Amino acid sequence: MNKKSSKTSSSNENYSHLELFNLGKIFFKEKKFIDFRSKGNRSGFEAIKDINLKIEKNTFVSIIGPSGCGKSTLLNLIAGLQAPTSGKIVIDGQAIKGPGPDRGVIFQNYALMPWLTTIQNIEFALNTVFPAKTKADVKERARKYLRMVGLEKASNKFPKELSGGMKQRVAIARALSINPNMLLMDEPFGALDALTRSYLQDELLSIWRKNKVTVVLITHSIEEALLLSDKIVLMSSGPSAIISEEISVDLERPRDREKIEQDPKYLKIKMRLEKHLLRETRAVEEVT
Amino acid sequence: MNKAISTRLTFAVAILSLLIFIILWQVIAQQGLLVKNFPGSFKTIGSLIWWVSDPFFDNGPNDLGIGTNLLISLRRVLIGYSLAVLVAVPLGVLMGMSKLAQSSLNPYVQLLKPVSPLAWLPVGLFVFRNSEITGIFVIFITSIWPTLINTAFGVASINPDYLRVSKSLGASKSTTIRRVILPAIMPNILAGMRISMGTAWLVIVAAEMLLGTGIGYFIWNEWNNLSLENIFVAIIIIGFTGFILDQFFGFLQDKFDYSI
Repeated sequence: MNKKSSKTSSSNENYSHLELFNLGKIFFKEKKFIDFRSKGNRSGFEAIKDINLKIEKNTFVSIIGPSGCGKSTLLNLIAGLQAPTSGKIVIDGQAIKGPGPDRGVIFQNYALMPWLTTIQNIEFALNTVFPAKTKADVKERARKYLRMVGLEKASNKFPKELSGGMKQRVAIARALSINPNMLLMDEPFGALDALTRSYLQDELLSIWRKNKVTVVLITHSIEEALLLSDKIVLMSSGPSAIISEEISVDLERPRDREKIEQDPKYLKIKMRLEKHLLRETRAVEEVT
Repeated sequence: MNKAISTRLTFAVAILSLLIFIILWQVIAQQGLLVKNFPGSFKTIGSLIWWVSDPFFDNGPNDLGIGTNLLISLRRVLIGYSLAVLVAVPLGVLMGMSKLAQSSLNPYVQLLKPVSPLAWLPVGLFVFRNSEITGIFVIFITSIWPTLINTAFGVASINPDYLRVSKSLGASKSTTIRRVILPAIMPNILAGMRISMGTAWLVIVAAEMLLGTGIGYFIWNEWNNLSLENIFVAIIIIGFTGFILDQFFGFLQDKFDYSI
């Protein structure tokens, strides 16, 4: 991944930072070693289809939809962890072929390595992405990002000694330490209690403001999406989920958690989202 | 209850139980309640002290100190066992990672695993024409299965999040194996190694009865001398050694316990 060139070229070209063209993903049943019955036309589960989306540089975009709608699949495709069945993903004008350190990924269950301390988890990412960096450099940089999420004191603790919120902050520090252009978050606060969740949302906003980075956030919380995003992408219920709507959230920043709820614009979008989610969830629940 | 008191109490109960056992044993043997000439605990303890006070003498293969015999057995086990671990861990990782390796190797594993390793003894003797190497070979066969199966299982059931993190960072396959998979499956490997060691220590005694020298042969030799008390001495020493070996792996497992 050539990060330098991609960072400078994006603003004055006529493509967006991230573009998805007719993206589709079908999960085929695992191919048996000897399979007599299905010749060629294997049937599979179509998670998403015909996804077209443009995301601008340094914007905050949330993807929201009913559970099981393929949101995580979409994120995995953008991260390059899975290959699409059809369509393509273009970042800064270049089609992606797999995962890369230009995209930092944050998972719902933190995905910290339990045998490494907090700082070692970040060092692992740094060593993998920047093999040429010296030990001292890596340590210094890891420390810097731990400081950024306020966990410098916990640098020699193991993940099992940390709370869920602290673990996710380490994961955020790890994702940002490799200096990505894009932060991909898969329901990062879903497993946290409400207070920790609010705290981390504010934390994320302040980090996002300081470290110019594009964020794609998967969530099923309407409030979270509204508080954080510039744009909310609504997905239909799966299987074969599509993007049903894109909504711009033109609420002023910085947004105050309490005041924002009285803003008529906020309420209007919220109602629209609720209606959509309810309709799509009903579609899921009444089929099964 | 206070923890210190509770520990002391446990210890006291254990000592008391041991004393009762020794006395009962002595009484039963002395009264000839079991069979005639069955050695009592006093005689056995006397033998134990005699063997342990000079453990390393060497008066030829049929008259070795119990420590010498124990070291011979331990050496065979450690060599065969280490070779087995060196083969089992990489093979297990391969089986866990590759469907092809899994489906081509698993039939052999499943077929050979339930066979008593002693069945390999004649094969070893025929091929190697050497009892020392045959002993090591039998221990190798014994030790390989639990470690292999546990390693493969560990890889197959690894938390996919770790692999996704590694993949998302663009880590190479070798980095992923060395820095992610191996540390992640350490608990599985150690669990397998513990079972392997336990089984190897069981099998060496039986194998040595047929091979000459070692603690197993010591038992066979004392049977030929009709010295049951010396056999009891060997049983005590074998049990104690096995316990220490098992505790060592228990300690390692605690070190590599990642669970919350």
